[in-house]
Amino acid sequence: MARPAEIVCDALVIGGGAAGVSAAVELARAGLRVELAEQRASLGGAYHRQPSGTTATTSARGRRQWLRLTAGLAHFAIAPRLRHVFLGVDTDGLGLLDDREAGRVRTVRARALVVATGAVERILPRPGWQLDGVMTAGGLQMLLKETGEAPPGEILVAGNGPLNIALAADLVRLGRPPVALVEAGDPAKNLGAALRIATFPGLIGEAARHLARTGFAGTPWLRGATVTAIERDGARLAVSIEDRRGGSRRIHGDMVALHDGIRPNDFGLPAVSIGEPIVVRAGDCREVLGIRGAEADGIAAAREVMALLSGTALHRVAPEVSRQRRAQALLAELFRPVREHDGLRHLPDETVLCRCEGRTVGELRAMLAGPDPIGLREVKLNGRFGMGVCQGRFCADAVGEIALAARPDLAAGPLSRDRWPVRPVSIAALAAPDESRGE
Amino acid sequence: MSGGSFLWRGAAISFRAGESIASALLRAGERDLGADGAGARLRYFCGIGACQNCLVSVDGSIAESCLTPASDGLKVDPVEAVHG
Repeated sequence: MARPAEIVCDALVIGGGAAGVSAAVELARAGLRVELAEQRASLGGAYHRQPSGTTATTSARGRRQWLRLTAGLAHFAIAPRLRHVFLGVDTDGLGLLDDREAGRVRTVRARALVVATGAVERILPRPGWQLDGVMTAGGLQMLLKETGEAPPGEILVAGNGPLNIALAADLVRLGRPPVALVEAGDPAKNLGAALRIATFPGLIGEAARHLARTGFAGTPWLRGATVTAIERDGARLAVSIEDRRGGSRRIHGDMVALHDGIRPNDFGLPAVSIGEPIVVRAGDCREVLGIRGAEADGIAAAREVMALLSGTALHRVAPEVSRQRRAQALLAELFRPVREHDGLRHLPDETVLCRCEGRTVGELRAMLAGPDPIGLREVKLNGRFGMGVCQGRFCADAVGEIALAARPDLAAGPLSRDRWPVRPVSIAALAAPDESRGE
Repeated sequence: MSGGSFLWRGAAISFRAGESIASALLRAGERDLGADGAGARLRYFCGIGACQNCLVSVDGSIAESCLTPASDGLKVDPVEAVHG
């Protein structure tokens, strides 16, 4: 009993990046009616997002991929629903999309849901990481891609992993070299991993170009070093940096970009889908494989959907996915932090852990030191850790780590991830579909 | 869509075609986005709608400034000023 305002389709794909578009095209190729929802005003995802009216910043290989994917959308006449934010699945199994342009919530009756919501960055908590002017490296890269320029002020890039090098190179290209690039690992010394990465020609070439560009711009590349605190100093930010021997220095800037890796953006998704709609994940949302794995994984997800809909089991195999998995493992080895991870024991009590509600490391430690036996459930419900509007996306891992380091006896379990994505929805938008249905 | 200007705390902020509210604010040097209803500070962070730290009031509705395209004549304010 389809209601008038309801969108009916075979498969709803959430996320218009490489994986989502790839999955949508593959599903349409198999003859399925597909809807593609993207929260932004344009497709592209983290990688293929482009500033309007300026030169593309991705590689020639990247541009070819995007042309191929968008040609597929055109061929199968898939019109993406832009500015449609996925809210979840209601108790009747209907997908809910918040149409931000029209200001109303649309319901979607789909037999399958492909979730291709990409990755979220892993950002380790540090004193001062909650200050304005401190953002994720990916967040800063979004701004660069959106406008083709960097916001005003001096920028320091810090954390761990290859994305920071790519960001620093982008900043150099835009004439705004960062004041420093602080890296917890020491990829220059990790020759074994570097040699094996050379078997992935695309990766090593890209990294070498980024590094050469950053080096020539005179940006200090501080390896084996970590940011221990960010403080406000007048209108600027003072960043304390500790090197591998324990020596410290302070560097000033106006903005700090942090990034310590990425993880699937699968918060709020059910672990297993029961009945319809079938829920399948694609791309970085399933497993972080980067842009090279996303297209292949989108196709694999589409084939999984078709198999599940026809009631057959499918072993999901894609050679490119396996290859990119090996590349990611090597990158992780290459960038392995020089200093051993200490379970965040070094963090001072006043460090903010929960960015949404300002809950601190000290408050968590006090709770854990209490006489009553507690589990992560109590940490969440009584301590409100992981209860903020980000659903624990930026604190759940750190809270779990600190808790288990302090209390190895603690009842383990996920701190978050059992709710569908919570997003701001206006009452008017929720009420709108009923009016349009004339109920 | 072309560039133009929107109001932030009553003052005009210019933007370019295809730019989000968050990006236009940051280019104008506006990094502090005020407080939410509970008093927590808001500011740009992840850029993908995941952290919910850059919420603003756009013509009276709360939305992520990083996901909302800037458009001419929008009235943008800190969440606290409208819903606090």
